[in-house]
Amino acid sequence: MDDLLFHDIDEPGLNTIEVYERRGGYETLKKALRELDGDRVLAELQASGVRGRGGAGFAMGTKAGFLPKGTMDKYLCCNADESEPGTFKDRELMQKNPHQLIEGIVLASFAAGINKAFIYIRGEYDAQASILEAAVREAYEHGHLGENIHGSSFGVSLVVHRGAGAYICGEETALLDSLEGKRGNPRLKPPFPANAGLFQGPTLINNVETLSNVSHIIKHGGEWYARIGTEKSTGTKLVSVSGCVQRPGNYEIELGVPAREIIFGLAGGPLPGREIKAWFPGGSSSPVLTPAELDLAYDFDTIAGAGSMLGSGAIIVIDDSVSIVDVCLRTAMFYKHESCGKCTPCREGTNWTTKMLQRVSDGLATPMDLDIIASVQKQIMGNCLCVLGDAMAMPVSSMVNKFRGEFEAHIEQARAKHTPLSEAVRAPLDLTKQGAIA
Amino acid sequence: MSSNLQYRSPYTVVDALPPGYSRRPAGEPERATITFTIDGQEIQAPEGIMVVDAAKYGGVEIPVFCYEPKLGAPVGACRMCLVEIEGIPKLQTACSTPVRDGMVVVTKSERVVEAQNGVVEFILLNHPLDCPVCDKGGECPLQDISYGWGGGESRMVEPKRHFEKPVALSDAIAIDRERCILCYRCVRFSQEVSEDYQLVLLDRGAGAHVGTFDGTQYIAPFSGNIVELCPVGALTSRAYRFRARPWDVEQGGSVCTLCPAQCNVSYTVRDEQVMRTLSRENAGVDDGWLCDKGRFAYEAWESDARITTPLVRQGDKLMPARWEVALTAAANILKKSGPRTAALAGGATTNEEGWLLRRLMLDGLGSPHFDSRRGGEFDFDVARTLANPALAATMPDVEWADALLVLDCEPVDDMPVLDLRIRKGVRRNGVKLAIASARPSSLDAGATRVARIAPGGAEAFTQALLAALGDGGDVETLCENAGADAAEVRAIADLLAGAKRPVIVWSERLAVTGRGAAPLRAICNLADRLGIAAKDGAGLLEVPLSANARGLREIGLLPTAAPGLMHCDNPGLDATGIAAACGEEISALVLMNTDPLSDYDDPTAWSAALAKAGAVISFSTWMDAATARHADVVFPAEVGPEKDGTVTHPDGRIQRLRQTVERAGEVNAGWWVLNELGRRVGVDLGVKVANQATAQIANHVGIYAGVTTAELGGDGVRWQERDAAANLPRPARTTFDLTPPPAAPSSDGYLRLGVFRSLWSGGEVVNAATLATLAAAPRRVELSPVDGERLGLTSGDAVTVKTGDGEMSAVVALRDAVPAGFAFVSADLRLDEGDEAAVATLGRALASTEERSAEVTK
Amino acid sequence: MSAAPQNELRHEDSVPQLADVSVPAELKAWIEERMAMYPEPKSATIPCLMHAQKLHGWLSPDAVRQVAAVMRVTPAYLVSVASFYDMFELKPRGRHTIYMCTNISCMLRGADAVMAELEAQVGVDNGGTSDDGIYLRNFECLGACDIAPMASVDGTYIGPLTVADAKALVEDLRAERDVLPEKHLTRRPAAATYWAAGKRIEQGGER
Ligand SMILES: Cc1cc2nc3c(=O)[nH]c(=O)nc-3n(C[C@H](O)[C@H](O)[C@H](O)COP(=O)(O)O)c2cc1C
Ligand code: SF4
Ligand code: FES
Repeated sequence: MDDLLFHDIDEPGLNTIEVYERRGGYETLKKALRELDGDRVLAELQASGVRGRGGAGFAMGTKAGFLPKGTMDKYLCCNADESEPGTFKDRELMQKNPHQLIEGIVLASFAAGINKAFIYIRGEYDAQASILEAAVREAYEHGHLGENIHGSSFGVSLVVHRGAGAYICGEETALLDSLEGKRGNPRLKPPFPANAGLFQGPTLINNVETLSNVSHIIKHGGEWYARIGTEKSTGTKLVSVSGCVQRPGNYEIELGVPAREIIFGLAGGPLPGREIKAWFPGGSSSPVLTPAELDLAYDFDTIAGAGSMLGSGAIIVIDDSVSIVDVCLRTAMFYKHESCGKCTPCREGTNWTTKMLQRVSDGLATPMDLDIIASVQKQIMGNCLCVLGDAMAMPVSSMVNKFRGEFEAHIEQARAKHTPLSEAVRAPLDLTKQGAIA
Repeated sequence: MSSNLQYRSPYTVVDALPPGYSRRPAGEPERATITFTIDGQEIQAPEGIMVVDAAKYGGVEIPVFCYEPKLGAPVGACRMCLVEIEGIPKLQTACSTPVRDGMVVVTKSERVVEAQNGVVEFILLNHPLDCPVCDKGGECPLQDISYGWGGGESRMVEPKRHFEKPVALSDAIAIDRERCILCYRCVRFSQEVSEDYQLVLLDRGAGAHVGTFDGTQYIAPFSGNIVELCPVGALTSRAYRFRARPWDVEQGGSVCTLCPAQCNVSYTVRDEQVMRTLSRENAGVDDGWLCDKGRFAYEAWESDARITTPLVRQGDKLMPARWEVALTAAANILKKSGPRTAALAGGATTNEEGWLLRRLMLDGLGSPHFDSRRGGEFDFDVARTLANPALAATMPDVEWADALLVLDCEPVDDMPVLDLRIRKGVRRNGVKLAIASARPSSLDAGATRVARIAPGGAEAFTQALLAALGDGGDVETLCENAGADAAEVRAIADLLAGAKRPVIVWSERLAVTGRGAAPLRAICNLADRLGIAAKDGAGLLEVPLSANARGLREIGLLPTAAPGLMHCDNPGLDATGIAAACGEEISALVLMNTDPLSDYDDPTAWSAALAKAGAVISFSTWMDAATARHADVVFPAEVGPEKDGTVTHPDGRIQRLRQTVERAGEVNAGWWVLNELGRRVGVDLGVKVANQATAQIANHVGIYAGVTTAELGGDGVRWQERDAAANLPRPARTTFDLTPPPAAPSSDGYLRLGVFRSLWSGGEVVNAATLATLAAAPRRVELSPVDGERLGLTSGDAVTVKTGDGEMSAVVALRDAVPAGFAFVSADLRLDEGDEAAVATLGRALASTEERSAEVTK
Repeated sequence: MSAAPQNELRHEDSVPQLADVSVPAELKAWIEERMAMYPEPKSATIPCLMHAQKLHGWLSPDAVRQVAAVMRVTPAYLVSVASFYDMFELKPRGRHTIYMCTNISCMLRGADAVMAELEAQVGVDNGGTSDDGIYLRNFECLGACDIAPMASVDGTYIGPLTVADAKALVEDLRAERDVLPEKHLTRRPAAATYWAAGKRIEQGGER
């Protein structure tokens, strides 16, 4: 077996139903509806061991199994928000092989008794959303979606829903609120989406890549799938490699290959004359790793064991030409910008951290500020409503801790330059429209 | 550290069953008692309540900002309440974690303290420390929590967040966004309690701030509640800003008597002046909310418009007079008129005043002609049936009903805080709501069923409902008479029939339709048909037309019934009869807190009656039309915080008013004036302190027997739940033969006229600076877009509304929900100069089922 | 002219009435159709706002009122939602929109220099709109770090951009031409090329 999700990914017209069906697409769906029941499909998913590809790495079959049985409306939300910096794999899947995703959605719905499915795609992915919409239309026309699919008693509807620019909507409960037409604020858990999710109904939320695996798992069987990768990280993984490498791009790898093979072998390694200084193994939310950790096996548990996480499978490579202070500040700025503002530690913590890092960058800080930065990250971690706060605190503290020397050196040098207090820090927010009281 | 900090949050509910519930509403699920451990001590608490509330059973206080159970489900946003729970690796928010048997909670470990210090530090990062000039200073949860749970130092050197400040959110409220700690209480109130959805959060992250659409004012009937909800000084009352500090004021609890909702209030008093009105939460009454009218009325009481001295007419002028002069003048009138004197009392009248007025009339003057109702036939059997405790719904029953019918009333205008209770029931407890009203109701959006009926069609609707429930009669014909859709009526019948706890909220307006007691008989039959008496949690709730209508009726301020709805041997004239008899059988009129020209439905008749009345004595707060034009002697009436006495809530709760400020100017207590008048006409009413009048009621009103102000306490007591309820006489019958209702009047090719009264009316609204712009809104006529197009009218057009014999000016508002063929006119019956024709028309339209067609032209 | 200012003083009028707001027929039909696609019509909020924004160029108060009248929600609700998301514009913007990604992956490949050049070429600072209607702002990761540094120009992903490209990009826009056609993401050969370029990974165990 070569590659799963990316098999012939560049075949012209693969995004159309003609080509997809010609290549055997939707046969698995038809067969499953004809020969299997939902429980059996679910059992295959469970046997495959496939873990979520969206960030948390939770076993998909297990999660699907949490949905209550019964005839109430149940929902599937395909998480196509893909906003984690450095991540662009779902984009490729949706643009080039949308039917693989749709088939996976229908099969997963069948497995969990779901009758209404949505793809929540980030609004910026305009081209991809249009392709998906066209593919959904085709799938309806060909009877792969709708009621009584292929003569079975099973039916599911599918709507492509575009977001409008908010990273937090990738967080599954924020996604639900956003899909319900609200501000994308995360919800308190419990209740978990499996019990009370979209419109308070049982809801299964999975990433595009996770769902794109489903038809392959059902086609070949869960056991077959489980043999790919490592024992606890089965299957292949799309890895988005970006940053200071020669060939940034999406690569499908078998889980468990050494990270070095991905970064050097596939992505061509750093630019000539450059050395790797640090790398994010799983998007900008993951604590950075050092070159010493390049030989780690790229799978969920090994990376977690190294104090980081596989996350969305986005490797961002930082080379020695880049100041870690810049990376750290940029990272914090992102999370500050994307914090929904609902809970205190995240809203205030990301904002404050950004201000402090700005001062560090501007040369207006002392090493004591680094201690405060580190302690503020601790104040954030684990204390927020969702993990967006942690998503900043983890990489920021990893950078401050692992590269403390560089931070201190920067503070020294920058202070010497007497950089004025940056406008970004000083500029007041003037967001009001309402007139002052006379 | 925190235990000796006398921190009393005004924002939290301590008990799972708050005081004020005399009993658990039948619909509310019972909770088992569990045992859990908090900070080492074993505590019992009701299962499933949030840890933060359960902790209070053990005297442990967990700090909160965003948690406010009145607002619905917890949001877990501020993270102030983090605690350790054994077996869960992450700290948990105590506000959103239900307590379970055997749970082990730790609130004082190093981890928890660190997290608490952290959250306080975060919250204070951008909060200006301008406490010395902040209105909240001294009563600020943020101050208290910073002191009790904060680390005591700030490590932030960067500038704080800046906003333009303070800005006006509305005439009533100022917002200082720099002080806002983003707890979302205010926006949750707007969105999840009052559901007006006008106050929202804008932007996100650190830039998130509270605001409205495009800078428009936040205009909503309950907007003032957000000031009380705000845990910091971000939202302040513009009327109260900078006028007092918490340490130089006192709080005095009483009850608002501006409408039947009778919300419990706490007046903030400084130097004998009310500085503001706060809610005094009573779960059995108001759930801790106030409408803006009640909240800002105090401004009107301080205004120059108020009458604060006795007045006596000299020529065509009312001139200030000394008490002795006024009392003598009034006594002379009464003595001269004797048994030919009549009296009317309005809703702000307390039970005691009503009682003494009754005695003055009967014992002093020998006149049985007094009334507290607006007219209409009084039928003993109907009145006693409707008063039957087994048929009475409590306010909490409204919230826990499984099916709720709102019949011909608009709670937000008629009894505002009831509107919130209904919304709460629908939103939180899944109450299935059915609306039957002519004018589209603000509750329609949350309703399961909406039946539009013709104006005046409520009786026919009730009969149609009965027919659909199998009580005989032809559903189709009755629906046609009601102007209602038969399918909808059937659906509502099914909804009610299938309910375990059906509750029907109906308006006293049904009693004054010109059809006598007939509509009420239909309601009695409906209650019987639905088996309400036997169903726990089911019931009827009447929305009276005035604040203390129920109390005055029950203490016997009725021409036809003795106190406690007892038989009376010697009936007098009712209000309608009095109007007709003025100048003949009646030669003097006492008006207590009422202006018949605006309160009663036939101003033309009353105008004539007052002119002929001979002499008029008025107890009044404002120079209303009747007082100004017809009164010979005017006694300045007390207002809310000046009063002592009791009133009776529509659900039967007897509540106590307490005087909290000195009476303004030369105002004297109503009971004192009546006692003095008694003395002068030769009867000793025997009241030297207010309490004595209450004692007389306790001795003479069977169903109130033995009641004392001490027993009423702060929360009041429903008389139905006292033993004396057994003194209610049994009706001879509880179901009635119904006469067929008249067909909905034809509109003769014109629009059918419907009339509604807005919450924004009355002296308290007109004279309170904060509310004045609302009162000044022009009369409006609401039309359907279809008719708008047909008549070439758009919203904002000035038009003339012509009816049979009158016409009035109005401004068009096209509303999508108004059915074609109708015109709804706001009837705030203020008798302004030159507006008499309009008022007469509207009055008649309100009063009768006839003359309901109108022509609208530019 | 509608009677809005006067009527807005009344709480009854918090939801704009269709009778008072003239909604373009196409927009009304679109919104109604979209609302019907969800179990709860409010779900259509974001797509409907986006449609109105496309129609009006920005979410003007009038545009918001129109959506509110059809959806039967308050305008406040809609602006609350709109202001949460980066792609909604509550102030007038240009005919053309450039989102320049300045997040880490693009930064690592020179996005800041490209952004500076774009600012110079368009003639505005970050967040500004030029007189001829080009709206330029930096943006968080757009999900195309394989073509970093990149930008989304009127929704089309373009990259990798050089500083020289910034000039061409703005020129193309000003000339209302297809912008840097050879650098469109959708026209790029895809990942498989890279796959071929990389070496196959052999790992223990039979396949
Ligand atoms: C702040 C935040 C952002 C996230 N963004 C995404 C995302 O863009 N796409 C995604 O699939 N999952 C994202 N997730 C993870 C989801 O919450 C969720 O775990 C995932 O969609 C589940 O699908 P999976 O089990 O298939 O991975 C995000 C999580 C957080 C906390
Ligand atoms: S204004 Fe007050 S109530 Fe509203 S969010 Fe801010 S702090 Fe909370
Ligand atoms: S009080 Fe618990 S999170 Fe705010």
